[in-house]
Amino acid sequence: MVKFTVEELRRIMDLKHNIRNMSVIAHVDHDSLVAAAGIIAQEVAGDIRITDTRQDEAERGITIKSTGISLYYEMTDESLMNFKGERTGNEYLINLIDSPGHVDFSSEVTAALRITDGALVVVDCVEGVCVQTETVLRQALGERIRPVLTVNKMDRCFLELQVEGEQAYQTFQRVIENANVIMATYEDPLLGDVQVYPEKGTVAFSAGLHGWAFTLTNFARMYSSKFGVDENKMMERLWGENYFDPATKKWTSKNTGSPTCKRGFVQFCYEPVKQIINICMNDQKDKLWPMLQKLGVTMKSEEKELAGKALMKRVMQTWFPASNALLEMMIFHLPSPMKAQKYRVENLYEGPLDDIYANAIRNCDPEGPLMLYVSKMIPASDKGRFFAFGRVFSGKVSTGLKVRIMGPNYVPGQKKDLYVKSVQRTVIWMGKKQESVEDVPCGNTVAMVGLDQFITKNATLTNEKEVDAHPIRAMKFSVSPVVRVAVQCKVASELPKLVEGLKRLAKSDPMVVCTMEESGEHIIAGAGELHLEICLKDLQEDFMGGAEITVSDPVVSFRETVLEKSCRMVMSKSPNKHNRLYMEARPMEDGLVEAIDEGAQTWLLTCAKEFNTLMKSKDSVVGAFQWASKEGALAEESMRAICFEVCDVVLHADAIHRGAGQIIPTARRVIYAAQLTAKPRLLEPVYLVDIQAPEQALGGIYSVLNQKRGHVFEELQRPGTPLYNIKAYLPVVESFGFSSTLRAATSGQAFPQAVFDHWDMMSSNPMELGSQSEQLVRDIRKRKGLKEEITPLSEYEDKL
Amino acid sequence: MEFQSNYEILRTAEFIRSRGVSRVALQFPDELLKDSTQVAKALRRELGNGVRLYVMADTAYGSCCVDEVGASHVDAECVVHYGHACMSPTSTLPALFVFGKAFINVNACAESLHQCLSISNKPVLVLYGLEYAHAVQDLKSTMCKLLLSSESNQKLYYSEVACSSINPSGYNIKDKEQPESHGDAIADGKVLKTLESGVTNKLESGTKYTLGGLTWITPLEHKMEDYLLFWIGSDNPAFANMVLTFNGCEIVRYDAEDCKLLNDFSHQKRILKRRYFLVEKAKDANIIGILVGTLGVAGYLHIIQQMKELIERDGKKSYTIVMGRPNPAKLANFPECDVFVYVSCAQTALLDSKEFLAPVITPFEAVLAFTRGRQWTGEYIMDFQNLMTSDTGEIVDDNEGARFSFLKGCYVEDLQPHENNGDQLERSLALAEMTEKALNVRNQSTDTVLFKGTARSGAEYLAARSYQGLSMQYENAPLQSYVVGRTGRASGYENEKE
Repeated sequence: MVKFTVEELRRIMDLKHNIRNMSVIAHVDHDSLVAAAGIIAQEVAGDIRITDTRQDEAERGITIKSTGISLYYEMTDESLMNFKGERTGNEYLINLIDSPGHVDFSSEVTAALRITDGALVVVDCVEGVCVQTETVLRQALGERIRPVLTVNKMDRCFLELQVEGEQAYQTFQRVIENANVIMATYEDPLLGDVQVYPEKGTVAFSAGLHGWAFTLTNFARMYSSKFGVDENKMMERLWGENYFDPATKKWTSKNTGSPTCKRGFVQFCYEPVKQIINICMNDQKDKLWPMLQKLGVTMKSEEKELAGKALMKRVMQTWFPASNALLEMMIFHLPSPMKAQKYRVENLYEGPLDDIYANAIRNCDPEGPLMLYVSKMIPASDKGRFFAFGRVFSGKVSTGLKVRIMGPNYVPGQKKDLYVKSVQRTVIWMGKKQESVEDVPCGNTVAMVGLDQFITKNATLTNEKEVDAHPIRAMKFSVSPVVRVAVQCKVASELPKLVEGLKRLAKSDPMVVCTMEESGEHIIAGAGELHLEICLKDLQEDFMGGAEITVSDPVVSFRETVLEKSCRMVMSKSPNKHNRLYMEARPMEDGLVEAIDEGAQTWLLTCAKEFNTLMKSKDSVVGAFQWASKEGALAEESMRAICFEVCDVVLHADAIHRGAGQIIPTARRVIYAAQLTAKPRLLEPVYLVDIQAPEQALGGIYSVLNQKRGHVFEELQRPGTPLYNIKAYLPVVESFGFSSTLRAATSGQAFPQAVFDHWDMMSSNPMELGSQSEQLVRDIRKRKGLKEEITPLSEYEDKL
Repeated sequence: MEFQSNYEILRTAEFIRSRGVSRVALQFPDELLKDSTQVAKALRRELGNGVRLYVMADTAYGSCCVDEVGASHVDAECVVHYGHACMSPTSTLPALFVFGKAFINVNACAESLHQCLSISNKPVLVLYGLEYAHAVQDLKSTMCKLLLSSESNQKLYYSEVACSSINPSGYNIKDKEQPESHGDAIADGKVLKTLESGVTNKLESGTKYTLGGLTWITPLEHKMEDYLLFWIGSDNPAFANMVLTFNGCEIVRYDAEDCKLLNDFSHQKRILKRRYFLVEKAKDANIIGILVGTLGVAGYLHIIQQMKELIERDGKKSYTIVMGRPNPAKLANFPECDVFVYVSCAQTALLDSKEFLAPVITPFEAVLAFTRGRQWTGEYIMDFQNLMTSDTGEIVDDNEGARFSFLKGCYVEDLQPHENNGDQLERSLALAEMTEKALNVRNQSTDTVLFKGTARSGAEYLAARSYQGLSMQYENAPLQSYVVGRTGRASGYENEKE
């Protein structure tokens, strides 16, 4: 790889056919960053993992924040010979975003997917596609991101497992098949076939840790000259049911049964690699050098001094540099922005698909109006400021340009959530360095300075004058923030610091929600325990300058519901006694709750005799309903799946006596009375937990789940592996410390990932003294600073 | 005799005589009304028939304030206020305060105080409810005796009752307990300096504090946080006022009725946090109701005006509402208001109840909420008079950028302040802009206007309502036969009785 300058990089940015924007999708322990680092390992001296920028990431060995880098790659004419797509010269620009694999951070992945067109899916050569990878992959395909696959950790096959050729082939075949099963469900006429095939070069085989990778193209190129066969034909022979017998020098489509007859892949790819590795490991240098010479691999003299594993690594890196194989695969098989935006425009643009903005995006038109999506905010080195990071879909963004910022709540034609501001500086990332550039044309990722005060998490930018532009569709996250903690500063006078810190935290993470309780406590809500832990660390160290904070135990929000129809019709009188409302509560019909979106969880039903009279006070009743359903009678948690029926009303004929002041408090009281008479219950949030573990760990998993009130509902063995996939429900309340308990109980073999799944009714009666729900209600009320006892029905219900 | 001293009949008569007034209003809180006739009789005996006495039985606002409006109904020239008082300055009438004398076991109290002194390493400042003011002298001497045997009493400080009568601002105050007089005058409503509120004055000898009728001086080098506050009295608004004002201090309360020392004030701390939440909530408000909670406290008109300006500067809409003492039903009659600012005396200012549809905040909190870029550092001012003096000019102009709403958990766009100083060019566009706005209103769904608080004015809210009152068009109304309405009382009409 060649050293390159900002000027060079900027020049390629205009070549919209020669750009690839891609993200890396991988499971947590699948050294994704290692795979990505493999690509650039040679660019930077040594083994620095360049995307690994945070210390905690290094310690945990996982990626937490997605990081972007721009790479420059020059292809040889020879290797581009077979490239059919459009291109301008041999120089390529690859904008790569590495994102975290843990489910708690999948919001980061979502943000990364939005601004990329292709994805490198990293799967383990033995374990195959993991649950989390599957989720993200589905998400990616939903966004019309084209995938390529790399079968990673190849080194395990050769060193640790010592798998024989045919067996290895079968394993790889199954792994690829698994991935294809998922991808096949996303058949999309515009995107075309998204499945991956080794013989087409869309699958790579890599050893991220060792920094080498190959595709069948590498071998095909090598052998095509030797055999005098066309490269493409050779590729096809190197995978699938193609066998070669060196004794007869014949290709067959079936194993002839002769001991020398082997599958093409085994014969020509797997075994040569295995041989080289074995020779290196055994230090048989006398055999090694001639072989390398034959392969055209030249080693530096000092490298020849290496021995064993180090030698093997070096040799493989020189033979099959990971960067070349992976980058070439991306350049060949992932779409350029020009190509991708043609079909992605439908997913991206909210407005009519035939207006100038849609067309500009579709054609990736640098002369068109600016359309830019900011997908995340990245903390800058000067404290408190953020880069707005995103992708230019059309037009150009330049330093000093006045842009129209459309926030997530922007409605075309209105002035809500809309700002017009200037971009102070446009920046691109080159490795760890940020470089200012004059402008950035469409098809590229960009970071902008000076907009952070106007963008919370994401936004659409366009030119100042483009008042008709619609925004780019907001991202959908696959996780929701269900785990919450209350934070406060140790020293009261540092409150402004905390407030400032929380604002910054809210900005820096696509998922975290910073809110406030009625009691005045600051709340941080995250997707899971790990996510919260990282958020709190960021808050304290980066956003509050190390000021001390105290963090409460995790708080889980509950919902209030009812079990049965109210035992009787309840009535409440207005303060002036002139108005009466009669109501009943009952559980909602099955399926209705699911149908109603989270936003409006409860409906109000009216079949009152005095319908017309009631209509005059409708706003007041609805207002009271909104208020009451947000704070239920049990513990002031939101209500869910309750149907309130207004049975009858008696209203004063004179409007002055049935004003909002009379009706709102009354309606609220009668709703509470109805709820309390309908066997109120608590709903608790439940996680769906995915656990992947070997057979011997199952016992431990079951016992931990039992202890935590969880239950397993699915247990599947992964075909061809000793691994099991377990799906279980686990109450969120019990999930704190679950990961660590589980790891302890299974000596680190079980790896859980939890996402919020549903609300589950707690069977115990919260009105019954001493029951579990009653205790819970007490605790919640205490935390909220309310009277510990539930307000009695008599406070809400009146008698004639 | 007990009665005589408790109601300070002689002192009251003396006060009335010295002023030479002929019409006097006697203001009693509800719990003391039963004694009112006796007090009036006793006073009349002292004063003779030349002075007319009026008993004021009900007040529209808090009973701790002097009801000047009530008094002026009878053309009273001065007011005698009985019972608990907030000592807010009056604007037109002079007033005498009779705090009453609550029973206190001085020895037990001194014991507790002594105990506090020995535990705490901070100096102790004694504060008390005004009804215990009569016993302070006793307490002092008892403490002197107690401390004589042990160590020096350097660490012990007492607060004094600032005065027991108030002249309307503009007069000078002369009181024998308060020999040094302070010039306090309303100079055309511009600058206001008052004596009777938590004003901190730097004196040569030290810093002088006044709060709720008490006053004390601390050495210059001391901050209030350096003291342990020892409060004698019940857990009443005066105490809450003190706790919130000095929320950084360590505080213990001696309950004179139970003779117990209490130092758990998590409840008060919780109130402070809750107020913080209300401030944050108020920041999201578009329409603000200003509740006039007093007609007596000097300067209330000024602060209302100031609130109006403050709200307008922040681009929000305000309505001023006079409703006497607020309750949930009264407030819910104004569902368009997202928040209410309650302008009242320091001790009735804190109104909080789950029953309120919209939060009620104090003028100080309003300043925090409606001044962009202002942050709460923990200081708390209950008294709006302080606000008027303390709060001018330090507004940080931070109109750049969106505001982060902690209730919604995201950045929100605030309404821009109405620009009325635009040049000619902008004027010509004003009409177009207004039309655009009007069109927007219709686009918005009525639900968000009614229940999500997106309305910008009362008119917009009304437009969204499904029922807008009786229609005024009678021209084509079909004739309807009249029907006999219900009879009986609202709690159960005749036809409903079984």
